Formats: sequence, C-alpha cells, structure tokens
Amino acid sequence: MEYTLEQAIVLAAKFLGAGLAMVGTLGAGLGIGILGSGAMQGIARNPDAAGDIQINMILAIAFAEAVAIYALVVALVLLFVAK
Amino acid sequence: MTTRKKKELHITRWLVLALLIAVGIVGVLVKPARPDVSLKGETLVTFPLLGGLTLTNTFVTTVIVDLIVIVLALAAGRGIRADGSPSKGIAAIFETIFGAIYSLVEKTVGKKWAKQVFPLVATIITLVLTANLLKLFPGMESIGLIEPLTGGETGHATIDIIPGLVGLTATETTANAYKLVPFFRSPSTDLNFTASLALIAVVMVQYFGVRANGPRYFGKFLNFGRFLKMWIQRKVGPFDAINPFIDIFVGMLEFISEFAKIISFSFRLLGSMFGGAVLVIVLGTLLPVSQFGLYFLELFFGVIQALVFGVLTMVFIAIATKGHGEHADEHGEVQKAHA
Repeated sequence: MEYTLEQAIVLAAKFLGAGLAMVGTLGAGLGIGILGSGAMQGIARNPDAAGDIQINMILAIAFAEAVAIYALVVALVLLFVAK
Repeated sequence: MTTRKKKELHITRWLVLALLIAVGIVGVLVKPARPDVSLKGETLVTFPLLGGLTLTNTFVTTVIVDLIVIVLALAAGRGIRADGSPSKGIAAIFETIFGAIYSLVEKTVGKKWAKQVFPLVATIITLVLTANLLKLFPGMESIGLIEPLTGGETGHATIDIIPGLVGLTATETTANAYKLVPFFRSPSTDLNFTASLALIAVVMVQYFGVRANGPRYFGKFLNFGRFLKMWIQRKVGPFDAINPFIDIFVGMLEFISEFAKIISFSFRLLGSMFGGAVLVIVLGTLLPVSQFGLYFLELFFGVIQALVFGVLTMVFIAIATKGHGEHADEHGEVQKAHA
C-alpha cells in the first residue's frame, strides 16, 4: 500500500504513541510485584491468614492493574479507533 | 464397572490430545485471516424507523448471556431441596460457589447487611463471568456477515468453502475487499455493557450508604460540620481555622471519587477483556499454536476480572454502610494527636 509522506508520518506517530503509552505499565508491574512480595511475607509469617491475605491481595492488585489497563486502552484506541 | 469407566477416561484423554494437535496442524497449514478490530460493537441491523437505532453484535450476545444466566438460575433453583437435604446436579455446584461468595460477603460487609448485599454481588459475578467465558467459545467473533468495503480500505479476499458459505482468506487486498461483521461478540468487550454495569454498581453503593446511615451519608460529600462549629463558636485557633476547609476539600474529593469509581470499574473490565480478545486475534494469526496458552490465560483473566468486579462492589458497599459519624470522629482525634 502506498502512503503519502503525511499519511506515513501520522501512521508512524500512531504506532509510536501506542508503544509509548504502554510504558505506563511499568508502574503497575512494580506495584504488583511489591504487593505480591508483601502478601508472601504475610502468609509466611502467618499461614493461617492466607485466605484473607489472598483476597485483599487480589483486590489491591486489581487497583494497581487498573492503571496498566488504562494505558492499554489508550494504546488500543490509538491503534484501532483514532483516525 | 470402575475399570470400564477408567478405560473410557483414558480414551477421552487421548482424543483431546489428538484434537489439540490437529487444531495446531490446521492452524499452521491454513493461515487464519486476521479479523477486523473495532472498539465499538459492530452494527448488524439498522432500524431507520426508530431514528437510526442500531442492533450491535455485543447487544445480541448480552441477551444470550442473560438467557444463559436465567436458565442456569432456574435449573439451580429446581435442584435445591427445601428440607435441607443435599442438593443434586447443577444446584450442588451453585451451592458450593455461592456458599463461598456468601461467606466472603458476610466477612466483609458484616452479618447485618450480608443478606441484602449478597444478591447484587452474586448477580454481578455470575453475569460478568458468563460474559467473559462466553468469549472463549468457538464461533464468537468468527461467524457472521461478510460485507464489502467501499472506501478503498484494506480488507480480505473471499473464498468459497461450500456453495453459499463464504470464507475470508488471509490475503489482504484493497480492491474487491471484504470484511467480517460477526454475529456474536462478548459483551464485556463493549463499553456499553461495562459502563452500565459500573453505573448500577455505584448507584447501589449510594443506595446502601443511604439505607445504612440515612441522610447523614451525604455528610461525607458536604462536610460542613466543623465549619459550622467554627462559625457559631467564633473560636479560631491555628488548627481550628484550617481543619474545616480541609474537611470541605476532602468532601469534594469524595464526590469526585464516586465518578472515578464508575470510570475505573468500566475501563478495568473493558480493557482487560478487549485487550485479551485483541491478543488472542493478533498472536493467533502470527503463531496459531500459541492459542492453547492464550486460552488458558484468558480463562484465568475472565474469572479474576469477574471476581474483582463483584468484590470491589462489595468493598465499596462495606465502606458506605460503615457508620460514617463515629469513624470521622476517630479520624479527627488521630489527626489532633498528630498535630
């Protein structure tokens, strides 16, 4: 498919933007890692509380993960919706 | 009897493995066409009489999901025994699952509200779980109408599988191009479904907050208590002058956070499910064998996201129903101690 220079620049910017948007997942990854480490330590210290800790961990992970998902939504919108 | 059953299981296991390998081979030999990715639900029918109202494939699937949930509920309801004897069949499965959810609700919300909150949470979890798992069924997003593209966009060439049944090939063309409009697509990949569910969840949070605390619940948003106290007493110490304004500001933040809840609820589910669908499509066309792993991943994410939606609703209700008054006083004292 042939592109004019303008179209090619727009396309390149779109892909670059989508890629850069996903940098936001870095924070979510770090957050989930910290949460997992904390939960592991909690379970190791008090194995009886494993059930409660797991539920709260999943909940907190959902909050941390939401940030990554916003980044994903921005990237997907750039790729598939933005004209 | 038992040996025969074991042998049957053995055969089934090999059959499943053979099918998996066959799917892999077919996926490598016949290159799959990459479906069109669209964030909106694709329009199946337009009704010009109703002002251009459209019927989208995600709505069709929403209705199917509702029907599945209703049928499952009726089937489970028939199996429950009133005399407390063990239930049979599908009811036993639902008893186990909902028993676990109920104990979770009771632990979080408290005995007093558990019976009122549980139906909402269980319904949300069941509905979202059905919608998420339905995405993995064969035929979703792959069977539908083939429409010609007119604007010179890139589409796929067509091929006759049998007379009357047309398929898309992997070759991408601009001339004589067609695209697929699938009949079914998981509702959780459409913002309409997730946003409306998020609205229901957040409105119900306010409802339970008002039911538990009465009009005092709105004191969380319009926190003028200490401001009025200062106004009447005209007693202005260094912290007495600042704290009332902090209260008002915190109330504003609480008000905004209710709207942030709607957005975060809806985009969490949408992003996770739509992202998963795109992942399966794109990686599936690049490397068809990877579908096995991705399907397990999507199964896991579907269950987790359904659970998270329900559990978050439950936690927000638990926060809203907790007595706001005594909590705030306690908080204030802590702040004073720090000051």
